Amino acid sequence: MKQKTLSIITAVLLAGAATLFPIYSFAASCCGGGSAASLTVPKYAAAVADLSFDTEIYDGYWNQSRKYIADPPGSDLKQYRLNMGLGYRLARDWQASVSLPYVWNDNSYSGVSSQTSGLGDSTVSLMFEARDDNSAWKVRDIGDMIPGVSLGVSLLIPTGISPYDNQHSSFDITGRGFYRLDGNLLIEKTIRPWNASIALVYGTYLERSINREYGKYVEPYRKDLGDRFSASLSTGYTFVLGTGGDSITATASYAYLNEADASFNGKRDSGSGFDKQSVGGALSYSNNDQNWSIRGGWNHAIRQNGWGKDFPTTDVITVGVRYVFL
Amino acid sequence: MYFFRKLEFIFCGFLPEYKFVNARILLSRARIAGLLLFLVCMAACGDNLFPSGEDKRPSVLAGSNGGNVGQKAPDFSVQDINNATVTLASSTSGKKGAVFYFTMWCPICDSHMSSMRAMVAPSFPDVNFYLVDYVSGSIAGSAGAASANGYAGGMFTTLADTNHTLTGNFQGTMGTTVVIDSFGIVRMNEDYRDGAHLLSTLATLN
Repeated sequence: MKQKTLSIITAVLLAGAATLFPIYSFAASCCGGGSAASLTVPKYAAAVADLSFDTEIYDGYWNQSRKYIADPPGSDLKQYRLNMGLGYRLARDWQASVSLPYVWNDNSYSGVSSQTSGLGDSTVSLMFEARDDNSAWKVRDIGDMIPGVSLGVSLLIPTGISPYDNQHSSFDITGRGFYRLDGNLLIEKTIRPWNASIALVYGTYLERSINREYGKYVEPYRKDLGDRFSASLSTGYTFVLGTGGDSITATASYAYLNEADASFNGKRDSGSGFDKQSVGGALSYSNNDQNWSIRGGWNHAIRQNGWGKDFPTTDVITVGVRYVFL
Repeated sequence: MYFFRKLEFIFCGFLPEYKFVNARILLSRARIAGLLLFLVCMAACGDNLFPSGEDKRPSVLAGSNGGNVGQKAPDFSVQDINNATVTLASSTSGKKGAVFYFTMWCPICDSHMSSMRAMVAPSFPDVNFYLVDYVSGSIAGSAGAASANGYAGGMFTTLADTNHTLTGNFQGTMGTTVVIDSFGIVRMNEDYRDGAHLLSTLATLN
């Protein structure tokens, strides 16, 4: 019984983790990218290994006036990412993780096509579980309503190919070329079979020197990208299958992302920031005995006026497999 | 490993005895995390981990042809979306110079073009502004894209670089901005950024 309870808790937490930080940075057609999603290690696990594959399909963008503009006819823009992640519990309330993506850009327009690949920007994270979620079956007192709270820091490391490398085309880009330090707050609550979570992330890029753009050396200057804020809300429902304890969790999510204006040599570039809203859905299947879980998800940017600014509208389809080491 | 052992010694020295064992375990696991971080860093081979601010622009031989700043721009002949032929000579004829912005009709491109339309072009009526479409593959495609993105007509002329002549001449890609003066000399060839350098470059044209 204890094992079964543990497994259900694991499944629920895994489902939550599967939709945690569902926001992806710029990618493929114009802007580099390839950040992997973060990992969380379930409370009673020692480590987690995760492998996922994203297909990001581009179809237009929101312009400066927040108007949706379709891509030119005949264009077919995709980015594929293989995300490898490893999370490790350092202590009862501390965990660390590393996520490393490999990115394939596949861009076809009527007049040009390009297929390139390379390492994307990677992420290392440290998380502190400030308060555990009791994951109650039934609310008996106010204490059962208190959510789990986790605080974390993440460092985005520019291991991808950026515009400032010796690459001549924007089609080759797999990363943005900047370090970014994020502060993460995760609030989650499970009252079985329901769960809900809020993830808030505030990040600041580290200003850097630039002396080359797309393979051409230029007069050196300093650039800083704007601070980034993201929020995602998700709610899920877990179906226990039969009496074996296998379960499927269905999750729906909403995400908002905003990046402030960049600056050059300390001067703000007005209008260079962007924002984006998207919705998502995910299904996660967890097998209790083997500690395996598989998942599939879909994140959709709403192709309507007003739902974003200066950002590509994309669909991200994710399939993944995860193993939890108890 | 020496670093972690030193850290362990310092850290554990301040801890009560009952926490000592946990701290040792924590630090032991931190070694693994540190090793993983090191592997990630080692896996990267780009210049982004340790950016350089060193000026490495190559010296350019005066009078040579090419797309670099200071060189004489290579001649070209491309069609605009109205089927008119634009050459190096015609692009600057009767003007102080010409600006060529390479677009793939993306959000960053729109941000740059919008900035150029609002902040740059109105101040320089004696400069021609061209949008170089290197992705649409046909004049009709470029015309459609320019119209759909709100840049048909007005102060910009859209060029259909179907043979990638301009793209090759100037090593153009998304956001590349090239300024050529009335003598055919390349005065600027770089990413658009915030438009400040474009403004200062155009201000020096005679």
